Amino acid sequence: MLLAALMSPAAAQELVDWSIDEVRAIERHGPWPPPLVRDPSNRVSGMPAAIALGEHLFNDPRLSANGRMSCATCHQAGRNWSDGRAKGFGTVDLDRRTPSLWNVGYAHWFGWDGAGDSLWAQTIRPILDRREMAGSAAQVGRLLRDDKDLACGYERAFGSKAGVDDEHLLVDAVKALAAFQATLVSPRTRFDAFRDALVAGDRAATARYPLSEQRGLKLFIGTGNCDTCHFGPRFTNGEFGDVGIAFFVRPGEVDSGRLGGLAKLANSPFNLLGRYNDDASGASAARTRHVQRLHANFGEFRVPSLRQVGRAAAYMHDGSLATLEEVVRHYSEVSLDRLHSDGTPLVRPLGLTPQQRTDLVAFLRSLDADPPPRLAPPSLCP
Amino acid sequence: MRFLAALFIFLFANAASADCPLDLGRGTGWVVFSDHYMIAFRPEPIRIEVGQPFSLLFNVCTKSNSPAELLAVDAVMPEHKHPMNYRPTIVAGADGRYRADGLVFHMPGRWELSIDVRAGEESERLTHDFILK
Repeated sequence: MLLAALMSPAAAQELVDWSIDEVRAIERHGPWPPPLVRDPSNRVSGMPAAIALGEHLFNDPRLSANGRMSCATCHQAGRNWSDGRAKGFGTVDLDRRTPSLWNVGYAHWFGWDGAGDSLWAQTIRPILDRREMAGSAAQVGRLLRDDKDLACGYERAFGSKAGVDDEHLLVDAVKALAAFQATLVSPRTRFDAFRDALVAGDRAATARYPLSEQRGLKLFIGTGNCDTCHFGPRFTNGEFGDVGIAFFVRPGEVDSGRLGGLAKLANSPFNLLGRYNDDASGASAARTRHVQRLHANFGEFRVPSLRQVGRAAAYMHDGSLATLEEVVRHYSEVSLDRLHSDGTPLVRPLGLTPQQRTDLVAFLRSLDADPPPRLAPPSLCP
Repeated sequence: MRFLAALFIFLFANAASADCPLDLGRGTGWVVFSDHYMIAFRPEPIRIEVGQPFSLLFNVCTKSNSPAELLAVDAVMPEHKHPMNYRPTIVAGADGRYRADGLVFHMPGRWELSIDVRAGEESERLTHDFILK
């Protein structure tokens, strides 16, 4: 049964035909936003005092060695919580694009290579990485002990004064930073209004979704096979894939992606199998405990969420594609030789017509919306 | 789908030995069998979601009532030759009961679950297909 068969003649002109299976596939991309999730590995997740401390720390350049770089230097609210550059930078230029922080609180692997298994553990990396903020646990510890406002904010968030164990304070700082980042939920979009109307059978509201965006959506969930990986309300399954981007970051040097990320994860003292996981049940560490390192992980990178994707240029893990149009063209023309799949490849050249490419881009842009203006963070200890 | 699985269990539960209950509770689950083995299993949580870790609870029996062992559980997407990104661990319980933890089907589509069992010197692989939407 086709939904269009139920439409009045006037409204039917504004809709493509949707089968029951297609409606179900579209339904799986919502509702949006989902409820905020509390991270059991982070005892201050969701707590207002920790969120406030985290926002102050996020904007504090004193976390970096040279005092010039904060988290917000690269994750800018006005730039989709990224930096608008093809590749990130710190004390040196980096090889990967700065990922957006939208909806990061719903993820289960972090970083392009998934080297982080919690948002707080992932947050440690850029603070300590010598190529980025080049900070240290001692520096963070001193800041939380010696700065009057931050010390007060720490005590409110964690219920005790900052102690002398710098590594412990570093972990607490990133847990507050994670509590803040988990509040960054992208706004509802044109697609969400269409999805909800379609599920509810609201014909008038459904017809307000432009035809080109509907055709692009049909490609996305149909012959494009995009929703196999870009699955669910966030338009990502949160896992990893090789989509045919070049391995080499410079002559003779490759980015191994997930393969290297899993090695870093296993060696990290801050992973969820370690002593800083606040979840006594151990359930939050299930993925870390069971994840396996496979040869196929070479060259795989995390499947990014597509929410706010139109504002996220550049694209791919290495920022090698400048526009959404280039991304769609990539999937239209990707080389099977490069992907060397044993079975039916998930990523294959779609051979899209110019009109189909336009429609797919139109659909992707319907996953964008203007976020509300941000207010200044509340004082830690007014 | 759930109804069919429950019906399947009902039909085979009647035929099964009283020492090998194939209904693992919760009113749902699957049974796979061969000339030698009958294996009942159900997921926990009861609904398998794309990308979400789950466990499988097994009851492994032989038709001759000899003791059987669950050796390994794995899954692959046959069309794409994609394995799971996670390796389950198996914990043995009493009376042929086992629990496999740490499974994740990270994409929608057809997943083939493989169940490796052994009784004495004889081992065998039984399979079951899931269509995950």
